[in-house]
Amino acid sequence: MDFPQNMSMEEAFALAEAEAKLQQALNESRERFDQAALPDRLNEDWRFGRPHRHAAALAELFDTPSCGEARVLRAGECAVPVSAEDDDLRQTEMLMPTIGSDALLGLHLQQFGAGYALYIEEDTKEPIVLEYSTDSFYAPSTYIMVAPGVKAEIEERHTGNAAESALFATRNIHVAEGAQLRVSLRSSGFARHMSITNIQNLGGRVSHLTQHSSNAWTREETVAEIYAAGEGTETRLYSANRLTGSEVLDQHTRQVHHVGGAASDLLYKNVVDDSATAVFAGNIYVAPGAHHTDAYQSNRNMLLSEKATIHSLPGLEILADKVRCSHGSASAPMDEEQLFYLLSRGIPRQEALQLVAEGFLADATNRFYAAETND
Amino acid sequence: MSLIIRNLHARVKDGAEILNGINLEIPKGEVHAIMGPNGSGKSTLSKVLCGHPAYEITAGSVEMDGQDLLSMSVDERSRAGLFLAFQYPVEVPGVSNANFLRAALEARLPKGEEINVVDFYKQLRGRMKELGMDTKFTARAVNEGFSGGEKKRNDVLQMMMLEPTYAILDETDSGLDVDALRVVSDGVNAMRAPFRSFMVITHYKRLLDYIRPDVVHVLYKGKIVRTGGFELVDYIEAHGFDFVRNEEE
Repeated sequence: MDFPQNMSMEEAFALAEAEAKLQQALNESRERFDQAALPDRLNEDWRFGRPHRHAAALAELFDTPSCGEARVLRAGECAVPVSAEDDDLRQTEMLMPTIGSDALLGLHLQQFGAGYALYIEEDTKEPIVLEYSTDSFYAPSTYIMVAPGVKAEIEERHTGNAAESALFATRNIHVAEGAQLRVSLRSSGFARHMSITNIQNLGGRVSHLTQHSSNAWTREETVAEIYAAGEGTETRLYSANRLTGSEVLDQHTRQVHHVGGAASDLLYKNVVDDSATAVFAGNIYVAPGAHHTDAYQSNRNMLLSEKATIHSLPGLEILADKVRCSHGSASAPMDEEQLFYLLSRGIPRQEALQLVAEGFLADATNRFYAAETND
Repeated sequence: MSLIIRNLHARVKDGAEILNGINLEIPKGEVHAIMGPNGSGKSTLSKVLCGHPAYEITAGSVEMDGQDLLSMSVDERSRAGLFLAFQYPVEVPGVSNANFLRAALEARLPKGEEINVVDFYKQLRGRMKELGMDTKFTARAVNEGFSGGEKKRNDVLQMMMLEPTYAILDETDSGLDVDALRVVSDGVNAMRAPFRSFMVITHYKRLLDYIRPDVVHVLYKGKIVRTGGFELVDYIEAHGFDFVRNEEE
């Protein structure tokens, strides 16, 4: 290691120590990547999502430099670029729970050092908009920390600008007691889009929406962990997607109730056309002793083509008594009577199909926007 | 110019024949009532005319102002001037009433043209007021969570906005209380014009007391078996449909 000539001995030691720490972190992420299984369709957490078609490409990403543009609008001073040297943030990422993507998290840690941390200590007057875009491969991290009692609205957008664009985002969202957060993630235009989101609700109200469009392959993992109960503690997870062509959307969710007396709700809806595939695997986990939990999970799909495929695997894992938990799944073609009604008013077929499909998805987006925030 | 139905036979796809040779002509400017016992094919006739995919035509023809109606798609029939107020209006979740009507009106404009939004809302609110509807219904999803009466009013609202040439009202009176029946009938009557016709399907005289028909037909087992004036309505009200059954069996 070369040190600048005017550097004191103490400074040189500190720099060397930081360099060593970083190298150690990189080695650890490499080990993690090597030890964990790459996505494989025989793995329960990856079946149906056609991971075998992407495993080799994902392994290549390990040595591909992360390259993209990050922009944040209307955030004031609360936005801080993520730095490779920030040990706290790296540590947070290392501890993120995944639903089968442990190898990929190792990959992401190797690329660590892009994205934004948002420390929100005042109500947002307008939504903060966070944009990540790339024409190659980008691996940003987002940290959102909403202070107690603060109301915030955040829109995160991911845009792929080239046919082979790939983006792999990790998102850590902390909602403090009494805080209210409405946060969305919209991605479009990627050959491969991956996201691992961890929401930690410490006694606030959080509403989360994902919308993916025009991605050839999307893998979404969303884990919501609920650590506090009481009046006004609520976690809502929504998703609304329209899939066409041969797109694959592979969504995995977990609602983790660590304590009793809290409510969570999930509604994931997809309209699946052509030969596209939608996978939903959801789980509600209620920890031992988390009594009086009120949790709901629903996956609804509309099929527009005989070649479209849906795999829906809702699940419950309840280790407490006295809980109210339910899950549901329904997949069906478009209601012919609804379509006929629109056609009978002179609306052309393509437009009628579009309206009915959008109406179907609007159930999820409307609930997201109806969630209480600062407007 | 008129709606002319000739020897129309239709059945539920792969099922029994329901319409067995209907002959009917409704000239412009006239209101024709279609009455008949349950299962006689009244609703089937209305759906077949609009092109419902559950039915197939096995014989006959329908001409609307000289155009071959049966060769047109469902949406083309509507844009050509045909309208059906449904017996059971359909709920369309997530699609607001206003957007739905805008899409229907814009479909009638030349390609690329859009309706004037201010004029549209002005007209929509005016029509809603005439029908005694709360303007909050503009933002609500089409018929979703509406009561039976509200759905029927909403269908009549669509008719008023789309201004069809030939309107079919399929049991529009069912589910309406006396006051709502009057309001809806007033709306229909206000639309009566020399360039517009109505086919009013009903079981009961009470609707026809408000919307006075020019001609009354009785449909039985998929055929028009009687045609007359208002005296036929009075006779059915007094004696039921047994006379038709007795004559036809």
